[in-house]
Amino acid sequence: MSKTNKTIAEKMQELNSYVAWFDSDDFTIEQALDTYKKAQTLATEIETELQALKNDITVLKKKFDA
Amino acid sequence: MEKSTIRLPLFSVSDFVAALNQSLEYAYPQVGIEGEVAEFKVNQGKFVFFTLKDASASVGCFMTVWQLRMPIEDGMKVVVTGIPKVTAWGKFSITVQAIRPSGQGNLKRSFELLKAKLAEEGLFVTDRKRILPRIPHSVGVISSTQAAGYADFMKLVNDRWGGIKINVAHVQVQGEGAADQIMRAIDYFNGSSMPPEVLVIIRGGGSADDLSVFNDELLVRAVAGSRIPTLTGIGHETDESLVDLVADVRAVTPSNAAQLLVPDRREIITELRHKQVSMISRVQAAMTTIQTETNRAMSDMYTLLVRRCDMLLAETTQARRLLVAFDPQTVLQKGYAMIRGHLAVGAAVEIETQYKLITAEVTYVKDK
Repeated sequence: MSKTNKTIAEKMQELNSYVAWFDSDDFTIEQALDTYKKAQTLATEIETELQALKNDITVLKKKFDA
Repeated sequence: MEKSTIRLPLFSVSDFVAALNQSLEYAYPQVGIEGEVAEFKVNQGKFVFFTLKDASASVGCFMTVWQLRMPIEDGMKVVVTGIPKVTAWGKFSITVQAIRPSGQGNLKRSFELLKAKLAEEGLFVTDRKRILPRIPHSVGVISSTQAAGYADFMKLVNDRWGGIKINVAHVQVQGEGAADQIMRAIDYFNGSSMPPEVLVIIRGGGSADDLSVFNDELLVRAVAGSRIPTLTGIGHETDESLVDLVADVRAVTPSNAAQLLVPDRREIITELRHKQVSMISRVQAAMTTIQTETNRAMSDMYTLLVRRCDMLLAETTQARRLLVAFDPQTVLQKGYAMIRGHLAVGAAVEIETQYKLITAEVTYVKDK
């Protein structure tokens, strides 16, 4: 899978669909290697993105005392 | 000698009451009084009257029902904050601005009364609870940024996950005015054009009195009315507030709130690796299955081949036995003889036995 603008959640969903294919009746040994390579690339991409993610924290200037 | 006279100020009654109130206002612009509630009553559903007393004195109190943020009843020890005042008809009273139960027993009693009331309204039912998004993109946090609980929460959220837009409303989380500030923050987030997906209310541990803010009726109703799903992390595991009960999800501590809000990236990375291993295992299992099936097919074929060969061998043996049975030599060995030639009187015929060849002349022929 090529790098896209998908969110991590979407990528996880895609990865889960690959994993599900391995357990489905559609599984064939001929396609397994190709699918595995795609899944592995996606998993590496997710892992890299996960480790790099930072939260964007803003303390609001608005006062709530009145 | 002329008697000196002191000129006393002369007031009208109204002026006197006004001057008295002015003096009171100057001396005691606001007072806090602790005492026991007696003769508590609500008139016309709007006006609250009660007497605040101790062993040797009592004072009348007045407030509106909207200022009553926690249930109060006779015999309850409370702290009132208010303004002392003499009314136009000369009665001294405290115009109450805030009232809260004092002492753990009274706080607990007030908590139970309000809990029962709100439970009857259905505010705590499970059907009202909404599910939080598994991975929120935006979060509104309502807390004091100076509180230890807030620091614990933020540290854990940052450790566990990233990529979230977090807006923090810094509010007071204990004492007078705290409930109002939290309510304003809830209103602010709910009124936002881009509201966060989750609203988190954070407050670390504290005394029952400190945490009583989260049993404020108006605040509880504001949390219940939030259109943004709410998550609370208030106090320690043993603390339970009405805001906790009404929130969509209740965490037992601020740290636990972080755990419920976002997944742990380390767990997901481990999960990713497990997924890869499971895919490899699946391929290996498929290959093992194919190999097993191939071996079984080969074995079946060999068994069939051997069986077919055995059948052919048995048929050949049977044929050979028949051939042997039909061999003329076998008949001669049994003592029989074969005669060749023309069977007519005077003709010569050849007789063959097991060991001899004989030529003989036919002397008599007769049909049987």
